[in-house]
Amino acid sequence: MSTLLTIEQLSITLQDKSILSTLDLSLNEGDILGLVGASGCGKTTLLNAIAGFIKPSTGRIVIDDNLLNDGEHCLPAEQRQVGMIFQDYALFPHLTVKENIAFGLSKLSKADQLEQIDHLLTLLKLSDYRDSHIHQLSGGQQQRVAIARALAPKPKLLLLDEPFSNIDARLRNELMVEIRLLLKQFKTTAIFVTHNKDEVFTFADKMAVMAQGRLLQLDAPSIICQQPNSYQVADFLQLGSWLPCQINATSAQSLLGKVNLETSDSKRESLLYLLVKPSNLLLKVSTDANNHMNAQVEYISVTEQGNHYYLSSLDDSTDDESLAFSKLSVYSDIVLSLKQKVALTIRPHHYLFFDKPT
Amino acid sequence: MIALYNNKIWKLVSYVTALVLIVPMLVMLLGGVSASTQLFLHLWQTVLPTYLENTLLLAFWVVLLALLFGVLSASIITQTNIVCKHQLRWLLLLPLAMPAYLVAYLYTDLFDYAGPVQRNLRTWFDWQSANEYWFFDIRTLPGAALMLALVLFPYIYMLTRGTFEQQDQNLIRASRLLGLTAKQSFFKVALPLARPAIAVSASLVLMETLADFATVQYFAVNTLTTAIYDTWLGYGDLGAANALASILMLLILFVVLAEQRSRTGLRHQSARPNLKRELIQLSFGQQILASLFCWSLVVFGFLLPIILLIIMAVQYSDITQLSALVSTGINSLKVSVFAATIAVFIALLLGLYQRLHADKYRHLPLQISGFGYAVPGTVLAMAMLSTLGPVDHWLNEAVEFLGFAAPGLMLSGSLFAVVFALVVRFSAIANGTIISGIKQIPQSLDYAPASLGVNLLGSLTKVHLPILKPTIMMAWLLVFVEAMKELPAVLLLRPFNFETLSSQVYQLISDEMLEQGALGAILIVLFGLLPIVLLNKHKEKV
Repeated sequence: MSTLLTIEQLSITLQDKSILSTLDLSLNEGDILGLVGASGCGKTTLLNAIAGFIKPSTGRIVIDDNLLNDGEHCLPAEQRQVGMIFQDYALFPHLTVKENIAFGLSKLSKADQLEQIDHLLTLLKLSDYRDSHIHQLSGGQQQRVAIARALAPKPKLLLLDEPFSNIDARLRNELMVEIRLLLKQFKTTAIFVTHNKDEVFTFADKMAVMAQGRLLQLDAPSIICQQPNSYQVADFLQLGSWLPCQINATSAQSLLGKVNLETSDSKRESLLYLLVKPSNLLLKVSTDANNHMNAQVEYISVTEQGNHYYLSSLDDSTDDESLAFSKLSVYSDIVLSLKQKVALTIRPHHYLFFDKPT
Repeated sequence: MIALYNNKIWKLVSYVTALVLIVPMLVMLLGGVSASTQLFLHLWQTVLPTYLENTLLLAFWVVLLALLFGVLSASIITQTNIVCKHQLRWLLLLPLAMPAYLVAYLYTDLFDYAGPVQRNLRTWFDWQSANEYWFFDIRTLPGAALMLALVLFPYIYMLTRGTFEQQDQNLIRASRLLGLTAKQSFFKVALPLARPAIAVSASLVLMETLADFATVQYFAVNTLTTAIYDTWLGYGDLGAANALASILMLLILFVVLAEQRSRTGLRHQSARPNLKRELIQLSFGQQILASLFCWSLVVFGFLLPIILLIIMAVQYSDITQLSALVSTGINSLKVSVFAATIAVFIALLLGLYQRLHADKYRHLPLQISGFGYAVPGTVLAMAMLSTLGPVDHWLNEAVEFLGFAAPGLMLSGSLFAVVFALVVRFSAIANGTIISGIKQIPQSLDYAPASLGVNLLGSLTKVHLPILKPTIMMAWLLVFVEAMKELPAVLLLRPFNFETLSSQVYQLISDEMLEQGALGAILIVLFGLLPIVLLNKHKEKV
């Protein structure tokens, strides 16, 4: 598979505020990339820069060997062959469904236009609505029109700005699966922005996590979940809770005991944070000699996965304040009460330690 | 937000247009400021203090009365269970269509010594002369203030009522749950929240008052506007007229600044305006007082004058009047169609420039072009004369130098000056309407055409202009109507022997012969009703 989109050292400054800084990204033809990050991290700005709606300060954007942007040149948006599905769909209210889809096809002959429109209408199950006006359609139908309109001119790259945020939660999953199949059918390369990581798992082949104008990690969603490359990535994706540990050459000491490190890497004595997924914690309440109580219940909620508890370390457990934890997340079938003391142990697994950014 | 385009020609045209619209006023100000200090000193020692005092006093009384009329009626309509509420709700807007000078003339006719009211009183009570009884004299400064307030209060009524109706009813509900009665909630929550709207509308009334010319002229109350008129037409003293106009302009500038300051507070929008509100229940006595108050505003501000006009028209109309009406009507039409078309074109040019272009100062041309609205017609006329006069001379010299016959006052002495002044004065109306239409278009519709490979021209012709079509028609109509009604600028700038509806009606009023022009006057009122009906309908739809 060949590379379709390459972004090198892209920086964007708007009103003296740096929005993106030296961002690199590349995407293979046919891949769907999900772009996640907290609001204000620059996701939408990146999308707008690729579409040509914002002029970057520095950096290059190349699609299919066509240079769209470098320091000086900036190809106008209408010449980029990049399609976009807007958050509010941006359908033209004064035009019918058919005319909306035909909007980007003026270069084709009338007959070709009609053929293309009919093809899309059938594919998106919109044939009954070809002469309807936009306000007569439901939200889901409007989104289909937006997709048909964007796909009609056969863009090399399709951008989707939070495409599912206006859709009813119950319909959302269904629609995502449907659209993904459609994009695959068209072999469309696409980037979509969301702040909902679950959407990425359903919709995307690749996942990119952004924070404060930088790209933190780009990989398959499953890989990112197993191997997040930083505290920020794991924290944003809420992959688990954080346990402070004192690292020695061969072991890591925490309030939940000592774990042996598989490889004695070069991390010198330092305070790091262990990413603990709820499934890697073992919770006991019985008091025998092997279990000493090391945590207490701070918050209780009931979920589909059983009882969900937030646990904190005991006040008198240590002199070293830096090892205290306050919000370890655990699921359990055992019914506990507030402030009840429990014994927590860590199951052996592939340990991931991260430095907490200050 | 991010803007898409950077079309150099559009940019140039926008800035130049805005500049052209404001240059005459700058020239006039320059002329006013550089008018010799001696002249100014002379003015100051003779008439200026009286003019200023009259202007300010008039403004004070009009705003006070209009606030009383406007806020009280808006409160009664929105907050109480007054009978005939739905009729009064729109009837109270109608006085806006009545030019103050018409009301002034009609009431003078009705109430002065020789008028039917005093005549009848004298017969009933057998009084022989004016010394035997007291009757108010309408041709005074307070009289003028009352006339102006009677037709200007709907500005305040309209904005205040709108704010009351838009207020989040949950705020009122919260206040009720916190233990306040409906009446207390009104005074402690609703009224304070409406303060910015009241301030904005009061400054509109203030501007209109400062700009009024015909009413004060008719009542012989000397204000700055009448002084400008007399100084120029009476004494032909351009420098002194410019100086007076500059002073008036500074006053207006002050009001504009105050208005914009209040506007920033105008932000209490509600997502729940349609919740049912609980009304203050009026007692029988209160009901009568409230009805009396609202109905007298409607009757004296609109119904009585229009009935008087209709009676006049029926009694005195004949064929010659009708033919005069047709010719002046065509003149008015001509001027107004030009002005409306140009103003809307400019508003689209600058409005879409602001919307679509990546220019840090893209709002500037639009802002500049809208400034003329605050400028009184008399001041604007002086601006045109002091700018176009020299340009005409220069043109004549140039043409003669080339060996042709001098064309005369091509600009300052022709329709050009009138239309130019009207465009400057009413651009703000076109701008406001067009901009609110543009704001209704979601920003994403600017980007969508480009993402589909369509360029700026295609986007304009296929998306923006078609969507704006109803707005464009509305803006055109509003400017057209205002241009039909405009008086002082036309009066000062019209070419020799060129009469419009309003200038003719005014001439007849000055000559105490309105009977001859009653039909024209009714026509002006009807034109004035048009935007009220339209805007009301438009608001109801939104």
